[in-house]
Amino acid sequence: MYIATPLHVHTFYVNAGATALQLINFYMHFRFITLVARQEWASIFRSKVPLALFTVLFVVALLATFTGWQYVSKFNHQQKAAHQEVHDQWMSQPNRHPHRVAHYGYMVFREKSPLSFFDFGLDSYVGNSVFLEAHRQNTVNMSEAGFSNGMLRFGELSMAMVLQLLVPLFIIFIGFQTVASLKLNGVLKLLLCQSASYLDILIGKITGLTAVVWALFLPLLLVSLLAGNLLITGDMSAEALLRVLLLTILYAIYFLIITMLVVIVSAISKSAKNALMVLVLVWMLFFIVIPKSAQTLGSSLHRAPDKIAFEQAIEEDVSKQGDSHNPDDPHFASLKANTLKKYNVDSISQLPVNYGALVMQEGENISSGIFNKHFDRLVDIYKAQNSVSSILGFADPYLAIRNISMNLSGTDFDSFTAFQKQTEKYRFEKTKKLNEIHLTQIKYQNDSKQKVSAKNWQQQPDFSFQPLAFSENLAAGTLGMAALILWVFASLGVLIFVSSKRAYQI
Amino acid sequence: MKIHRKVLLLEIKNFLLGKTVLIGAISLLLFGLYSFYHGNQVISQQQQTITTVQSVQRHHLQEIVEHGTGKAVGTTAYYPFFYTTNPASPWAKFSIGQRDVNPFTLKVKMLAIEGQLYDSELTNPLTLLVGNLDASFVFIFLFPLLIIAFTYNVLSEEQESGVWKIVRTTGNNMGAAIAGKLLVRLAIILAVTLLVFAAAIISLRLPLSMPTFELLTVVILYMLFWFTVSLLVIALGRSSSFNATTLVCIWIFLAILFPGIANITVNNSIRVPEAAETAIRQREGYHAKWDEPKKPTMEKFYAVYPQYRKYPIPDDKYSPGWYYAMQFSGDLESANSSKKLFDKLMQRQTLSEQIAGFNPVIAAQQSLNKIANTDLTSHIRYLQSVKAHHRQVREYFYPFIFEETPTESIDWGGYPAYHPNQYVDEPIFRGVMAILIWVIGSLGAALMLFNRNFIKIKDIQNA
Repeated sequence: MYIATPLHVHTFYVNAGATALQLINFYMHFRFITLVARQEWASIFRSKVPLALFTVLFVVALLATFTGWQYVSKFNHQQKAAHQEVHDQWMSQPNRHPHRVAHYGYMVFREKSPLSFFDFGLDSYVGNSVFLEAHRQNTVNMSEAGFSNGMLRFGELSMAMVLQLLVPLFIIFIGFQTVASLKLNGVLKLLLCQSASYLDILIGKITGLTAVVWALFLPLLLVSLLAGNLLITGDMSAEALLRVLLLTILYAIYFLIITMLVVIVSAISKSAKNALMVLVLVWMLFFIVIPKSAQTLGSSLHRAPDKIAFEQAIEEDVSKQGDSHNPDDPHFASLKANTLKKYNVDSISQLPVNYGALVMQEGENISSGIFNKHFDRLVDIYKAQNSVSSILGFADPYLAIRNISMNLSGTDFDSFTAFQKQTEKYRFEKTKKLNEIHLTQIKYQNDSKQKVSAKNWQQQPDFSFQPLAFSENLAAGTLGMAALILWVFASLGVLIFVSSKRAYQI
Repeated sequence: MKIHRKVLLLEIKNFLLGKTVLIGAISLLLFGLYSFYHGNQVISQQQQTITTVQSVQRHHLQEIVEHGTGKAVGTTAYYPFFYTTNPASPWAKFSIGQRDVNPFTLKVKMLAIEGQLYDSELTNPLTLLVGNLDASFVFIFLFPLLIIAFTYNVLSEEQESGVWKIVRTTGNNMGAAIAGKLLVRLAIILAVTLLVFAAAIISLRLPLSMPTFELLTVVILYMLFWFTVSLLVIALGRSSSFNATTLVCIWIFLAILFPGIANITVNNSIRVPEAAETAIRQREGYHAKWDEPKKPTMEKFYAVYPQYRKYPIPDDKYSPGWYYAMQFSGDLESANSSKKLFDKLMQRQTLSEQIAGFNPVIAAQQSLNKIANTDLTSHIRYLQSVKAHHRQVREYFYPFIFEETPTESIDWGGYPAYHPNQYVDEPIFRGVMAILIWVIGSLGAALMLFNRNFIKIKDIQNA
């Protein structure tokens, strides 16, 4: 007997069947991927060479972490001691003329950030101390690179260097033959005859390799970051925890990208040997040639003035602005007229305040403003130079991770510039306060003969560096993070493309 | 051992026709050209700045004197800077070394010197971190990779493709066959080296004098070192991929890891807190004097400059003579830690030269920097010359300061001119010997292994 089934019931069955099939299909893919991944995992741990390489890397990483941590804590200790000495000297000054104190000056020492033991960044190439005095904007001097012979230039051994440079090489060595060798021994054909797609195999390989790399390096990274930070600062703030977690995640993404690249190259190579050759070449390109060229390109695109030109430009601007030594100088003549008018007197000697100090502060205002303008311009040029390597992060994942890693570790260009700017601000305010003391407590007549109580400057606040906030570091790292995410998607795209080409399956 | 000319010619043809050679040689040449451009740019920019120094100095002094007219020399002398320069040697373009890190012009006031010596040049720290892609980088870092690419599969590929067995059964002289193959590669490596070096001579305008030949000697020896390392690995008789992997690992170890560890060792075993200490001492040494009686300060000064004793220094008021004596005593008080700093820097240099004995890569780089006068030692020499100049300037102005001469009546430009350091032909014997010993050692070991693994081996199944 014929029973008419309504059409929608029929489609329901068909749909359900299709969904079930899809599910089964999906499940099969999933099973296959995990199967390949597990097999890859097992085969890596079975052979000796990867384990030997890992042991070497592990030892080097531990060594780098330990020496880095020791170096940073000793260094900070030394800087603290020097700072204490300078501060004690400042506090135990006798009664002096405030302008003498302004020239006695103050010295500020740069301490390294807590995470700098992990990523040295620019630390060795920037100065560590600066002398602050009236009328003079000094640069931060005495970098470690200046006291080092050429050995530093080969690269500094830090944990970040191991993770950024050597772990990719490790991935290359354990991954170059993954797909290429399957082709050579014919296993690939066998696998493809089963229900697996080429994409499944590639994803399976990537999953297996990534799992190995993550299992080997991420715990090491996380533990040493936490331990180092704890040992250097003595506590663990929420912000530090966030930095550590983000660093770990970003390095995980970086390793994933490298693994994908390695598998892709292996998949498109005719033989494992070819894959290795290409990968080693790519490594050199990514890790040595592009970074160096990016920076030299940046500095030839955006020319920065050298010190003499920089100082001359400032001097020129200062002399345009006004010359406090010249009684006929229009700027200072009008300052004098305005001041006399303000206090309603006819001559400087009748002023209730010390006119000399007023002139001094005006000179300070002018020179400080001009210096800051030029310095900001210089920083902008440097930033433009560095932006070349930030942008090239989209062409070289190493540059992307290098930049974010420095940002999050507080050893990047911005952190150093912040130090320099804060010291200049501190210098300006210190000098301004001393000029105020000069203005109100020292009489104009017989100026240089007078002294004021040491209490006046003992009350001044000490310098303490405010490191860049997490959000600022994050903002600086946006481009790098975008580059890394783009790399993941681009690699996925290439992976799908490669897997669809028959030419790459044989 | 006789090598058949025909076989040799065939080998040359085979090898040259391979893509590796062409790509490798061309890319190295391109990197070479870029490095010459970079070296020329960095150094000529420095030289350009140096040429402006004289007019900057003249202009600067002119302004100072204009401002100081009517005042005594003692007052005016506070302001002027005296510039010094450290011109680059003609070979600095080849090996920039530490020239980008260290300042190549320094200006000093007549005040205490110690706080003024460590002014850094203004440079983008990221540029310093990444380092220079100069000619020495191409030779030291990139050439070994070319050598590895040329040699890693010399014999293993023949073994892997089965050709080797056929060659063996023909019973020809195995040693000669191997030597022929290797000599062809060595000749091509040396030819590429010479080609790039010749290009360096032309585009960097290196003078054809002793230092250039020293550079060439170091470079050639260094190439021989990598070639013999390759031989050593090949002689193990393993597969192509083993050879490639091992050689790249050796390269990474020698060129990145080892120097990284060595740098940490040097910095940790010779620490230099003296730099900050010197600056602190000097500041205190000078400033404390303001609040002390003048006599002791002056006595310290007279001990070195007794001729100024005759000028009166009033005890109750400021005088320029006393001011400069205070500055001088600031230097005296920091002299000890300053000397310690310089000693320690020299110790660092010595220690790293000792370490270089164990690593030809470091030895080669240090030798090139030495020849180019771009290493730490050259910079220390420069600092010493700045100190000497500072002394000359002070001593020129002291009589006018004590005489209280008016600013306008003396010749401000009459101080002894600064003479930059001349090129110093530093001995590179140690570095060269270190590389040579490594060459000989690895060559000997390679020959032994070749003998065991390739020549004396008996194929039992074919016998």
